[in-house]
Amino acid sequence: MLVLHISEHDNGLFFWGESSAGSVRKTPAASPPRHPFGATKKELMGALQEMTSSKMPGRTSSAAIWLPAKDDGPLPSSSIIAEPSASKTKTRNMPWSVVAYRPADIGETVSILLASADKRILAPGAVAGTSVQYWVDVLHFAGSMVARQQFLPGITSNHAGKHHAVWGPIFVGEDAEQLASLVQRMPASARAMADPGDQSPPSQAPDAVLRRVVSGLVDHLVRKSADKTLPMVGAKKFDSAHDAWIYALRSKNGTITANPADVAELASQIYEWQRPVAAISNFPFRLCFFLEEPIVDAGSKPVTWYVRYLLQSHDDPSLLVPVRKAWAGEIPLQKEAGSGVREFLLLSLGHASRVCSGIADGLKNYEMDGHAVDSAGAHKFLTQEAVALKQAGYGIMLPAWWTTKGTKARLALRPRVKNKKKIDRNVSVLPLSTIMQFDWQVALGDYDFTMEELEELARLKQPLIKIRGQWVEVNPDEIREAITLMKQKASDATLQDIIRMSIGTSKAPGGMDLGGVRADDWIADVLERLSSKAGFSSLEQPDGFAGTLRPYQLRGFSWLVFLSQMGLGGCLADDMGLGKTIQTLAHIQRDRQADGRGQQPTLLICPTSVVNNWQKEAERFTPELPVLVHHGADRLRDKSFQKAAKESAVVVSSYGLLLRDVKIFGGMQWRGVILDEAQNIKNAETKQAMAARSLKADYRFALTGTPVENNVGDLWSIMEFLNPGLLGTRTEFDRRFSYPIQTGDLDAATRLRRATDPFILRRLKTDKSIISDLPDKMEMNVFCTLTKEQASLYASVLKDAEEMLAVAEGMQRRGVILATISKLKQVCNHPAQFLGDNSSTADRSGKLARLTEMLEEVAESGDKALIFSQFAEMGQILRRHIQETLGLEVLFLHGGTTKGNRDRMVECFQSKTGPKIFVLSLKAGGTGLNLTAASHVFHFDRWWNPAVENQATDRAFRIGQKKNVQVHKFICSGTLEEAIDTIISSKKEVAESVVGTGEGWLTEFSNEELRNVLALNQATVM
Amino acid sequence: MSYYYEYTRPKQVKGGIKAKPRRGGLQSWWAERWLKTLEDLDMGARLGRGKTYANRGQVVSLDVRLGGVRAKVQGSGVTPYNVTINIRKIDEQDWKRLAEKCAEPSITADLLMGRMPDYVEKIFDGLGLSLFPSKIGDLDTDCTCPDWANPCKHIAAVYILLGDEFDRNPFLIFRLRGAERDEFLEMVGFKPALAEQRVDETEEETAPIPLPADVAEFWGSVEQHEDRRADSAHIPEMHAALVQQLGRFPFWRGGSDFMPAMINIYKDASRRGADVAVGRQQDAE
Repeated sequence: MLVLHISEHDNGLFFWGESSAGSVRKTPAASPPRHPFGATKKELMGALQEMTSSKMPGRTSSAAIWLPAKDDGPLPSSSIIAEPSASKTKTRNMPWSVVAYRPADIGETVSILLASADKRILAPGAVAGTSVQYWVDVLHFAGSMVARQQFLPGITSNHAGKHHAVWGPIFVGEDAEQLASLVQRMPASARAMADPGDQSPPSQAPDAVLRRVVSGLVDHLVRKSADKTLPMVGAKKFDSAHDAWIYALRSKNGTITANPADVAELASQIYEWQRPVAAISNFPFRLCFFLEEPIVDAGSKPVTWYVRYLLQSHDDPSLLVPVRKAWAGEIPLQKEAGSGVREFLLLSLGHASRVCSGIADGLKNYEMDGHAVDSAGAHKFLTQEAVALKQAGYGIMLPAWWTTKGTKARLALRPRVKNKKKIDRNVSVLPLSTIMQFDWQVALGDYDFTMEELEELARLKQPLIKIRGQWVEVNPDEIREAITLMKQKASDATLQDIIRMSIGTSKAPGGMDLGGVRADDWIADVLERLSSKAGFSSLEQPDGFAGTLRPYQLRGFSWLVFLSQMGLGGCLADDMGLGKTIQTLAHIQRDRQADGRGQQPTLLICPTSVVNNWQKEAERFTPELPVLVHHGADRLRDKSFQKAAKESAVVVSSYGLLLRDVKIFGGMQWRGVILDEAQNIKNAETKQAMAARSLKADYRFALTGTPVENNVGDLWSIMEFLNPGLLGTRTEFDRRFSYPIQTGDLDAATRLRRATDPFILRRLKTDKSIISDLPDKMEMNVFCTLTKEQASLYASVLKDAEEMLAVAEGMQRRGVILATISKLKQVCNHPAQFLGDNSSTADRSGKLARLTEMLEEVAESGDKALIFSQFAEMGQILRRHIQETLGLEVLFLHGGTTKGNRDRMVECFQSKTGPKIFVLSLKAGGTGLNLTAASHVFHFDRWWNPAVENQATDRAFRIGQKKNVQVHKFICSGTLEEAIDTIISSKKEVAESVVGTGEGWLTEFSNEELRNVLALNQATVM
Repeated sequence: MSYYYEYTRPKQVKGGIKAKPRRGGLQSWWAERWLKTLEDLDMGARLGRGKTYANRGQVVSLDVRLGGVRAKVQGSGVTPYNVTINIRKIDEQDWKRLAEKCAEPSITADLLMGRMPDYVEKIFDGLGLSLFPSKIGDLDTDCTCPDWANPCKHIAAVYILLGDEFDRNPFLIFRLRGAERDEFLEMVGFKPALAEQRVDETEEETAPIPLPADVAEFWGSVEQHEDRRADSAHIPEMHAALVQQLGRFPFWRGGSDFMPAMINIYKDASRRGADVAVGRQQDAE
């Protein structure tokens, strides 16, 4: 395991790492001493190459990193690398020698940073340290400044007196704030590198380090793109220093070749030229403009607005000083600002006056307070000048009713649906292609305008009018277009068109917005229910459903029923543990009953690791529903599949087979298609996603526990599966949503949410309405499958046991049985545990695969988890696997842990920012500890003793626990684990007394009984 | 009259200072006024020759000092001629009287923005002073060329280039009359202290900040990063706004025009920046 860090040093970024493999290395004394767990050149370069798939043309060298250390060595950045030191000595910063990679040039640095963006796992076994994401953020910041063109050409001289042409960032306005925030966030590790010979620790201020890096990145990005058009010039003599400068601004190294006197003159000219901008960007305040609306409501009479000038502090944006007072010296500013305030104000106002003409009037006013504008002037300020001022770095404060798209209250076109045809509401699916008639209205909120009112508005010719107490932007041309539309006869639209208009994914003709849909009777009802999911009445849970749906589950179930009746797709994105499975099953049960037996089956696609779980849950909650599991080598094909499928209510299969058997699945008309863990199709171009979209079904659901709505690109793919065409083509979607959102357009994000909200239902465990519905502790069995390897190991253990049991008796027989049970349990856990061969862990255990998936969700929602196993070796495997695949820090407590370490781990886990995952051996961690930070408890293997398991669970579920606790008990289906679980739960009272002693009671079974318990059901092998 | 000079062409110069292209002849009133003092001297054809010199970039150097100008102009001779223009300085007492009258903020604002308010000239007049050299005694010009006429075309070329620069930076006129920009600003009531350091020197001033010894503080935490906000990477519709805001480069000598070259570079860079800001990897790296 390697944790990668990036530190600034010697005008560049250096990559280095800590390695868990290195914790045992001992080296002879050196100065500075070698970092005991510093990554080797091989480890470091291996990870970097894997990340970037490049040859890494830079070079490695030995560098000193000054880390907090105790007398026994440096402290690791994370317990992934090593346990924190137990030493009681004081920490102080000391130098350690590490291997550091310096990219060949800044371009390579940029490539590596881009390759690490937003990743925790950079390469197999390589985790990003905090400084990695930090410098990626810095790169994004530099990129955004270049995009917005906040830079100027300039000149610098180095110590040798050589001059270089550079592109320098200009930090004004929000960039100055962002710079300040990045200074605050810089981890010290980002500036802790020094030359090996340095005697004192590096102490450069974060501000200086950051400015240097941003400057370097901005210079590189501009130079790199300007370089493309650069004519090849050899050792050219330039006609003037200006030519040399312009050339050097685009050349790779930026050196200016001109005689020193000319360069000196050039430097002073650049200084002179840049001076107005420098004066503004160095000042600790920025100029702000505050538009004040008229206090008197003057109706249609001309009204006066006022633009007030204010100063806003970079360090404390809440500090606002009226320019009038600062100008008059009535308010003392910070020392460095006070003396220059007048020049700053005059320069800022002067420049601002170029994009905002009213400021020229303000400058003639002796008070320096602001300037007045009329209604047209205010509109121009809101729509044009404020935008230009903001882009130029000035602060803008506008009334709350103004948004980037205009006034909050807006005139909008609204279709009014006239439903003449009676539609039979009893049909189970209403086709989206149903044709309806509508005509147009113009509305403001709930108010519909008459034709006369609109004509009056158009006549006023005022861009801003206060209508019904609200300021409204009025465009006479748009109003006239709307009047024309209103005069037209009714138009046709499909139900899908109406829905698209209602959720805002289609546009109105002309320039006006679309303001929802007005409709009567059931269409209104449908649209209303779509727009506010809370609004529907809950249905009763269906007959034959063996269980009780909680109130929020009834709501979710009703929502699914409603959507499927409409033929719409929906994404149920409840938190893990809230019961997506049973809501879905309840829906299938009801759907089946509603239409009688003759209907088509529903196809359910899920990850291989949960195929069995679905089968088990269906057996338990909807025992009447025939389920066909389509999996394994002996699965049905073609005709026989179709026949079997038609006799089932649900066909369960995996994503892998969705791809392989797409022809078989595609040959059927399905009642519904449900994708569990739908994030599997988040990438729309994958074959899996395309296969899912190709299936024919009346309704489509997606289930996921990860918040899909947070990633714009993923969202399109899932929505395209659910409701094809609703969000437009990918290109349209990118243009309307993805690109604007990526570049910070909040309005686009709001529009997207409005369009997708009706189709996503996400409830969190922490929602108030949910918490009250949930029990404090929920116990769930998690059914897992064996891999082929596990199954064959299981069979061979069983075969050996049978041979031995045939001859063994008495104590010997007892020994054989207990040993066999233990071996089988190890096989169920992981082949590597059973074989004890330290082999690789990925893709070999059904349980481990499921655990990893679930932990990813746990960590993503910010929860913490305990994982219990009775085997210390398994704990070790779990810890390594989770760290390497999820990049999460994992604590591990076992019999060999010292008391001091145990206490530290507990404290660490309980702290808010501490590790999220804690693996404990049942024996060492099952009692005594207080681990209430956890809200999930996993029992990876079973002790068959409820008392012992409950005691372990109670580490989290005890006084001090404020959240609901979910307990996940892992069971491999078709193995002894399931058989024993069944015995115990069917004879609970027997279990309490008999089972109390662990597994010993099994030795009392006859050979025949034992065979039944231990047998392997091959059907459950994946 | 030395007619034979009319037939010799000046030696070609590369990298000289070129006059601003005059499209439609738009120039500020004060630059016009400056050139008018030249025209008033009745130079005849030499004024036109001077303009040609200025347009072609025959002026190879130009140095504006307090109360005067030193310039080198390439004529038909082997080496450039030295041009000297001395202007009578306004004395300190008079500057102080002027400053009192110029204390109104809009005047300074205009000056800082590169505009000379027209009533400044009236303020000068009101005190019995003149903004531009008006009397013969105010102006003393000299050139090392063999032309006996003074001002010669070389002096005229320098005059024209000065006009261009005044257009951008009216404080230069004050310098010729004996007051530096900052002196003037101080006289009208505020210290222009803030722009004294250049941008690239600021980093040397920041005080050192030692590394923290606390482990958590040293490495920082991922949680800290969660409140990071998205940077807006909107590509502006108007390119190179900052450069356009700063205006022409002083005494530009480049072979191609400064502004169009800048606009092209900004346009390309903007796209690249937006890619990087949203994390798009480009093969070009």
